[in-house]
Amino acid sequence: MENSNSYSPYSSSSVDSTKPSPSESSVNLSLSLTFPSTSSQRETSQDWPPIKPRLRDTLKGLRLRQRGYHRALFVKVYMEGVPIGRKLDLSTFSSYESLLENLSHMFDTSVICGKRDIKHHVLTYQDKDGDWMMVGDIPWDMFLETVRRLKITRPERC
Amino acid sequence: MDLRLPSKVLEHIFSFVDSNEDRNSVSLVCKSWFETERLTRKRVFVRNCYAVTPAAVARRFPGMRSLTLKGKPHFADYNLVPDGWGGYAWPWIEAMAEKSPSLEELRLKRMVVTDECLEKIAASFKDFKVLVLTSCEGFSTDGLAAIAVACRNLTELELRECIVEDLGGDWLSYFPETLTSLVSLDFSCLDSEVKLSDLERLVSRSPNLKSLKLNRAVSLHALGSLLCLAPQLVELGTGSFSDKLDQEAVSKLAQVFTELKELKSLSGLWDVLPEYIPLLYSVCPGLTSLNLSYATVQMPDLVELLSRCSNLQKLWVMDLIEDKGLEVVASSCKELRELRVFPSGADVDETNVALTEQGLVYVSEACPNLESVLYFCAQFTNAALVTIAKNRPNLKCFRLCVIEPFASDHETHQPLDEGFKAIVESCKDLQRLSVSGLLTDKAFEHIGRHGKKLKMLSIAFAGDSDLMLHHLLSGCESLNKLEIRDCPFGDTALLENAAKLETMRSLWMSSCGVSFGACKLLSEKMPKLNVEVIDEHSPETRPDSSPVEKIYIYRTVAGPRMDMPEFVWTKHKNPEIGVSHLAIE
Repeated sequence: MENSNSYSPYSSSSVDSTKPSPSESSVNLSLSLTFPSTSSQRETSQDWPPIKPRLRDTLKGLRLRQRGYHRALFVKVYMEGVPIGRKLDLSTFSSYESLLENLSHMFDTSVICGKRDIKHHVLTYQDKDGDWMMVGDIPWDMFLETVRRLKITRPERC
Repeated sequence: MDLRLPSKVLEHIFSFVDSNEDRNSVSLVCKSWFETERLTRKRVFVRNCYAVTPAAVARRFPGMRSLTLKGKPHFADYNLVPDGWGGYAWPWIEAMAEKSPSLEELRLKRMVVTDECLEKIAASFKDFKVLVLTSCEGFSTDGLAAIAVACRNLTELELRECIVEDLGGDWLSYFPETLTSLVSLDFSCLDSEVKLSDLERLVSRSPNLKSLKLNRAVSLHALGSLLCLAPQLVELGTGSFSDKLDQEAVSKLAQVFTELKELKSLSGLWDVLPEYIPLLYSVCPGLTSLNLSYATVQMPDLVELLSRCSNLQKLWVMDLIEDKGLEVVASSCKELRELRVFPSGADVDETNVALTEQGLVYVSEACPNLESVLYFCAQFTNAALVTIAKNRPNLKCFRLCVIEPFASDHETHQPLDEGFKAIVESCKDLQRLSVSGLLTDKAFEHIGRHGKKLKMLSIAFAGDSDLMLHHLLSGCESLNKLEIRDCPFGDTALLENAAKLETMRSLWMSSCGVSFGACKLLSEKMPKLNVEVIDEHSPETRPDSSPVEKIYIYRTVAGPRMDMPEFVWTKHKNPEIGVSHLAIE
């Protein structure tokens, strides 16, 4: 088989008579073949290469750490009730503890993760789906992939 | 003259027949053998939960003690099956609770298991011992608590790569003080921290504990104290291996590892720091299985570890091992049977260049028992495939994933047809094959001609036309499971080989060229198949010739399933879409 045409499986030089009619099918097919698969709404492909989800997530974290340079990850941080926010580079932290420590210092109050508390400010974040979530439930690396902005909630409101 | 053996004698003879394959054959001999066999079968394995109804299984095997079920198709592992497709464990658990309350073991793979399911198990099976969930989802840690608290004779609780709603680590604390029978515990897929003191107490009162797989949240420090309590472990999955320990803690940990005299299998090792690799040296010579999929260390450290593993039979590692590392594996691990090399770059453009086809060639040359391979690589050559085939005709499972779709032989720029031809020609007992790279119909002609023992075949981004599918369906006599994605066919081949589909367990095709019309025709032609069209964009509003997103076809005696979601179309669920001239009633 000729090399030059062989990269496109829909090349019309194929002589096979059992091939489906090119008009309708190849239009749809060529769309689906722009790999990675377009069946997912997410930005990066979630189904190629074929590895299981947990390994895929672990590798994402690895990739972030292996980068020789630290890719900055600035997100806006608001304290509820305070109109002016701050900006923070999340890539400089290695864990939730260091993030909380820094935020507590920045906003001069105690900021925690987890269960709502009448005393403490609880940290929440907006993920890439636009939903507001409690900080601390998912592994740190996964959090870095999905966080878009942070909000420190007031104790009474929680 | 009555030549029938009395059933007591038959029972005794059948008690020596272990494998289900043999038991299936036995049950086909005659009615009395069928009867005796079914009354004495203890372990039942249903490989497709929709192929038969739970009631039928419960009826046939009243003495069932162990049930293994598989639900979703294999490609569900790679996010190709939409959420809500099916694979629900509930109907099975409900039926068994009613008809087989003596059930002791349940092993589920790729099924949807809810907390209700787990609660039902806990409440219904008085002597429940084994729960193994692989790639399951739909439950939370609350369900685990229900199992922990109620199953007094629990021996195995294993959660392998499940997606669990993690509500915290409390569930572990529900194991009663009276539970001392634990043999195996695997909670490696959970995220939350469990209470260390409860885990320690559980381990200390489980003298039969042989397998313990911790989750990432268990620190290195905690590992030390746990291992002191369980030096008899045969399988260990560590937690995170990256805490900073002081010198004293490190030497204590090293000492603890030397006490693990029975250890054969090691996994976990998340984020292992290079300076901790020497801690593992003492267990290396005894290891037969090593899973380094989460160990993100570089080649030199991997080599230090692997050169000491002379008895290793199974190795899972990332491509960080590079060709050089595999060369060391080749010379050190002569007993190697199974090798899996995973890509460290999660995206297509980030593959590690220092792992090439040469790494696998080294191992194939030097490891005479190598029979199972899964290899992710950026590139490959026909020459390498030919060499591997020549070196290892005893391969049973060969899965090659050249990460770049349509990648040709990087030296000759030819398709990889000749390479895979060598593999199927030489490896006469090959049962499982995954192909990749640039492949024409010719490659599949070779597979059809030579792959006579091939049971499972996975294909992505390959072939030119329907001929490809035709070669496979008409040539591969033992074909059981075929899964295909992003290949440009195959109405004609599918319809021409419709009868073949009844001899197979299942066929999956996604992003291919199968039209809605062909699916309808196939449905009409083959009533014993469930032809499922999985398409999130209503195919019945499009012309019959338009291709559907995904199809899943499987043989079944259960008839149409009752639990199909909106996006699954079948002839039964949507009778108005049946072929018009046959819709008489």
